[in-house]
Amino acid sequence: MAADATTYVLFELAGTAYAIPSSDVQRMEMVEEITPVPNAPAYVEGGVITRGKVVPAVNLRMRFGFERAEFTLATRLIVVAQGSRLVGLIVDSAREFVKISAEAIQPPPEALAGTSGRYVRGVASATDRLILILDVAGVVDAAA
Amino acid sequence: MVGLRGAEQVAHRLEAYLSGVRKGNHELTPAGIDSLLEGVAYLRSATDAVRGNAYPPDASPVLTSLNAGLSTAAGSPSTSPPPAAEIARPNPTDKAKAAIEAAHANGRPIWRVEFVPSKELAERGVNVTTVRARLSQFGDIVHAEPMPLGAGGIAFRFYVAGQPESEKEPPAEDGLKVELVLPEAEPAREQAVASPRAFSNVVRVDLARLDDLMRMVGDLVLSRAKLENGLARVADRLPTSERRRLEEVVHGFDRQLRDLREAVMRTRMVAVRELFARMRLVVRDLTRDSGKAIDLVTVGDETEIDKYLVERMAEPLLHLVRNAVSHGIETSAERATAGKQPRGRIELRASAAAGIVSLEIKDDGQGIAAEAVLAKARQQGLITESAGLDAGTVLDLLCTPGFSTRDEADRGSERGVGMDSVRRTVEDLGGRLALDYRAGEGTRFVVQLPLTLVIADVLTVQVAGQTFAIAQSAVREVIPVDPATVTRLENNELIRHQGKALPLVQLCDVFGSPRPSGAFVALVVGEGPAAVAFGADRALGLREVVVRPLSDPLVQVPGLGGATEMGEGRPILILDPSGLLRLSRRRVLQPSAVRG
Repeated sequence: MAADATTYVLFELAGTAYAIPSSDVQRMEMVEEITPVPNAPAYVEGGVITRGKVVPAVNLRMRFGFERAEFTLATRLIVVAQGSRLVGLIVDSAREFVKISAEAIQPPPEALAGTSGRYVRGVASATDRLILILDVAGVVDAAA
Repeated sequence: MVGLRGAEQVAHRLEAYLSGVRKGNHELTPAGIDSLLEGVAYLRSATDAVRGNAYPPDASPVLTSLNAGLSTAAGSPSTSPPPAAEIARPNPTDKAKAAIEAAHANGRPIWRVEFVPSKELAERGVNVTTVRARLSQFGDIVHAEPMPLGAGGIAFRFYVAGQPESEKEPPAEDGLKVELVLPEAEPAREQAVASPRAFSNVVRVDLARLDDLMRMVGDLVLSRAKLENGLARVADRLPTSERRRLEEVVHGFDRQLRDLREAVMRTRMVAVRELFARMRLVVRDLTRDSGKAIDLVTVGDETEIDKYLVERMAEPLLHLVRNAVSHGIETSAERATAGKQPRGRIELRASAAAGIVSLEIKDDGQGIAAEAVLAKARQQGLITESAGLDAGTVLDLLCTPGFSTRDEADRGSERGVGMDSVRRTVEDLGGRLALDYRAGEGTRFVVQLPLTLVIADVLTVQVAGQTFAIAQSAVREVIPVDPATVTRLENNELIRHQGKALPLVQLCDVFGSPRPSGAFVALVVGEGPAAVAFGADRALGLREVVVRPLSDPLVQVPGLGGATEMGEGRPILILDPSGLLRLSRRRVLQPSAVRG
């Protein structure tokens, strides 16, 4: 493995594998108490409170234009740090850590269609599948 | 530190001038203040330059201008003649001072020699001429002045410069009183040490550290709530004596926590003096430009308010003061015509009582031309023809974004925030703004703010099944409402309360939730014509909570002022009455604007 390999958290969303640099991930937890925030963007499931801070919980399925799915035991809230902000991402499941070397990541193909294309920073090919590297900044940008 | 010589000279010059003012040798004049400010500005730029490893700017122009400004300022000696017997008065007159300072600057010691002529001395051939000659042999007489004594007598005072760095004293025989005159800065420093204030044990603490402390206290409040909840759950299963003992512990904990909270709050408090002092500068600048004569009077400078509030209130206060200067106070000529004192007066008053701090900005100017405000508002279609003239309406109009009664903005009003922003800031801080004016007599703005922001007493309510909290101080009343008694009027709903009609805003509508059926409660918020009833499913209770900000843009929505925890691990959203009002007003105008 190359020396400049970075550890990523792998998660699953609507049948696709995504990765976030693990250095951006504060923690992962089961989805429990989320308080709906009225008049917030539709993809904001609500707020959770962690360490005294109110953290928005973004339903990533809805953010990417997929159907909202019922939460299951596998559903996870991944709390990511973006600058001084903390944002929770609700994903179908998240289990693995993987190391991906920088050379293995290619820029996203121009033709990558659909909403999710805007939030992908690159594509890595693992042995058996493609992994989309998430652009966290794009996802949590309220204006986008 | 070669380059700092100039800065040092400037600093000394300022210090000498100020110490003279303190001792009453001369009065603080506008020219003097200008010079002081100029000097301070130079010192600031010099320190900045040094910090950035650059040479400080040349001090000589500043020094020249300081010498000019400060000497004219000092040129009017205090008008009262020195009391007759006060020969020992150690303060040199202003003329003497310049000479003394010049000698000090050259490193020469200055001696003050006082000579009281008498018959006996004269008989021995000692008179003012011989004394003068004797002193001339010792050093240079830089200044001499006669001083009248009581009963027609006279004394002479000489200032003699000795040789540089020499400790040698002039001869003190023949009744000559000899005293070393220290450079101006020295006695000032001595005095500062002697005054108790210099040793007041003040510690400067970064506000962020205090915020941390406050947050930790907040966490403790939360733990206490959890403890209390836990105790309530197991209370039935405990023997009475055990339960009592635990309850006492919780109560004691409660009390200690309140004490701790208050102690931490107190450490965050600072006197408004500094804030008011800033306003003084603003008034000075503006009056110089406008040619108006204004006295700024401050009352309650020692009133302490949270440091955070001081910072947040600086801009709004500035705006209100600027408005008072440029729109409130008339020119001296106008005032004279109106039969008023030629000098206008602005009063800043601070007071704190019962957890509320009040800041008052009062001027004795022309008041507010309410008719003109209303006419302009009608012209802009902001109000109906029949709208009344009360101060609340006028304030609402002044606080409407973009509304101005002046067509041409002058310097005082074009900069900075508008009245809408003033009110917004005050409301964001959980306070309220009130207006009071009398045509031709003056205007008064009153800002009322809660002393503490971080921990609040809230009323918890249920809206469409979800629990929300609202600051208890904002809710005047909670009244049960039978839906059958609600009057509908186009898009609006009204309820009757104490013989008056109150506009009803259903919170579930504002939040886009379905309306529950059946009886509900109305939370009465605001006063007088601004009063509104917010409809909620039911009221749950009163709680003391820790307010957490909704800082992330994804959860920052109008109508919500924060969040809190009540020990269940999920956030409870705190309603923001002023935001809800804005939201509901917008909703009435454009029903689709909110739900999108």
